[in-house]
Amino acid sequence: MPKVLTISNLRKTFIEDKRVLEVLAGISLEVGEEFISILGPSGCGKTTLLRIIAGLEKADSGEVVFHTPDKRVGFVFQSPTLLPWLTVLENVALPLRASGVRRDEAYEKARKYLSLVGLRAFEDFYPRELSGGMKQRVNIARALAVEPTLLLMDEPFSQLDPLTAESLRSEVLDLWLYGVTTVRAVIMVTHNVDEAILMSDRIVVLSPRPAKVNGIIEVNLPRPRDRRSPEFQKLEDRIYELISA
Amino acid sequence: MLLLQELLIATALSLARMFSAYIISLLLAISVGSWMARSRAVESLLLPVLDVLQSIPILGFFPAALLLLARLLPGGLGLELAAVFLIVTSLVWNMIFGVYTSLKALDPSVYDMAEVYRLGPAARFFFIYVPACRESIIANSLVSWAGGWFFLTSAEVLSLGEEEYRLRGIGSLILDSFSREDLAGFYSGVAVLLAAILATYLLLWNPASVTVLRLPLPGVPAVFEVVKSAVGYAWGGLAQVLTSLEVKLGVVFRLPRPIKAALLLLAAAAVAYSARGLSLEPLREAAPVLSSFPLELAKSLPRVGLVLLLSLGLSVVIAYFAHLSRGVSMAVSMAGEVLASIPAVVWWPLLSNLALSHPLGPSIVMLIVYLQGAFWYVYFNLIVYGLASVRKDLDELATVYRVRGLPYLRYVFVPSLLPSLATGLLSAWGGSWNASIVAEYVDMGGRTFDMQGVGSLISKAAAQGNVAALLATSLALSLFIVLVNKTLWVRLFRFIERRYGGE
Repeated sequence: MPKVLTISNLRKTFIEDKRVLEVLAGISLEVGEEFISILGPSGCGKTTLLRIIAGLEKADSGEVVFHTPDKRVGFVFQSPTLLPWLTVLENVALPLRASGVRRDEAYEKARKYLSLVGLRAFEDFYPRELSGGMKQRVNIARALAVEPTLLLMDEPFSQLDPLTAESLRSEVLDLWLYGVTTVRAVIMVTHNVDEAILMSDRIVVLSPRPAKVNGIIEVNLPRPRDRRSPEFQKLEDRIYELISA
Repeated sequence: MLLLQELLIATALSLARMFSAYIISLLLAISVGSWMARSRAVESLLLPVLDVLQSIPILGFFPAALLLLARLLPGGLGLELAAVFLIVTSLVWNMIFGVYTSLKALDPSVYDMAEVYRLGPAARFFFIYVPACRESIIANSLVSWAGGWFFLTSAEVLSLGEEEYRLRGIGSLILDSFSREDLAGFYSGVAVLLAAILATYLLLWNPASVTVLRLPLPGVPAVFEVVKSAVGYAWGGLAQVLTSLEVKLGVVFRLPRPIKAALLLLAAAAVAYSARGLSLEPLREAAPVLSSFPLELAKSLPRVGLVLLLSLGLSVVIAYFAHLSRGVSMAVSMAGEVLASIPAVVWWPLLSNLALSHPLGPSIVMLIVYLQGAFWYVYFNLIVYGLASVRKDLDELATVYRVRGLPYLRYVFVPSLLPSLATGLLSAWGGSWNASIVAEYVDMGGRTFDMQGVGSLISKAAAQGNVAALLATSLALSLFIVLVNKTLWVRLFRFIERRYGGE
């Protein structure tokens, strides 16, 4: 499998009220063309890891190396983070326009990805006129529209109601499996074990803070995966053991 | 005919000054405000400085600043710049704070989003910063515009001892006609001024507030629509050009350090050069004036207190009726916009009959000028921010349980208004000290009214050309104001925040 990204020995400490908080204690990971979930208890540093990969934060030591010529990254934020004064279309096109793409070209591309998430008809709406699930779809379309090699997702379904979350999960999975996007690797941060098994090829389990890799689990179940299958249940048990280890 | 022509030219010149000052203030507010919101260092440096600048009597420092500029740039240009500069100082502070607070209130993940998708400074400016503070810019413009007119005449006619500067404009025309006892000129000047103020509100600010803030204000939207689409078109084009330029050239909107340092040095040298004539040698002259400062302060303080109380009571009552009826709200707001804009210096000649006819006349006129510099801050804060914060569910609760009249005021209305009332009172407190300079002493056509007090002390120092005394008293007054801000007001704010802010 071709390599997309190598993360080697990332360390990070924060200083808060003169107390030193070690968050990442040396994280290494090879990422191929796959869907990876990063799983760990709340506050363990998963999001910090994702933010370092995205370039939002600097690690104290260690590095993130891309093996692909194109290093573009899409980021699906936990909350939709749409600008309320821009329409759906303008929101999706904004990163493109900021990177110098011509206006009509940016809009055309934005429309393409809005169609993929099923929101083409809502392109002239403002974010306040959309439901939570629709806003999160716009967030995803914006991340895909920059045509990234790597897609990062920070607990993308955690703020949605269970029904919306479930249908959005399978939509994202379909987009990934059918290869209709430029994305070659996905890294998703989550604290939902069930969601991680349902979606990913490999699951990286982190320890409580300071985070180390407790174990990496391959999920070889055939898709679509059935939550009630005994294999699924067995994996779930194994992961819970790893988390509490 | 000649008069009409002169009136029109003078009004056009004054309007041009106002608009240039407004545009400068707008650009300053957006750049300084967003810079403060983005950078911790700049924030901790500028926040206290602005806090002081906002509440000190700018009028007291102005003659010195004007002299500097007039010497630096010979000819009319220095004077023009000085006038625009004074108007800017009366417009800009609340606008900066408005931009700063609305960017601070922005969801921090928006900044992450900008970082992940590599939005450059230009893209952030056009797509995030400016749209995010649109509402607060319009709300503050409404108040600032009136404040600008209020100080317009002070910017057009300024004397420092023997040196007197006069710029052609509607403000100086009104004062000139009055001192020449040309009543026709005086009254038509005031009428044209009022018409110009009314027109700018009806054609521009009110429609803008209706569109952006959904405030009930009377206006004629046609002109605003044209301006809006023109500005929108130009703005969109500029955004397009600058963001693509930014991408092509990499980040170029940052000046390299050496150039910044050189610019700072140049500015310092220019100030030093122009200040050479202003030697502070006559500090001895300042000493006797300064020694009378405490006594004069004691005379002005009760006036300021009375003015604040009156402003408080009047604006709560008016706001109450405005809250009950849309019609009242529209009428009162319109009247407020025009009355608040009438230049400070015009009130004395306008009410000169009153001032001369009754022994209490001068005191009443003084109080009116004082109120002009204070009342509107409270009033506009209530109308623009306060009434919006009276919660609909509390109002419905009051209707259901028939809470009306005084109990309604006492338990629902006033508590809901308190946060914006406190903000308004703080501005009014600074504003009334500034107004004291024009309220307590006036020299019009040979007749002088001297009401004593610290404002009069400052005005007299300016009239005698005693720069040292002028600066010393203004500084002492600023110090006093800042001291009160840091002790009394801060506590009041904290109390209100704890008790009445939020749930």
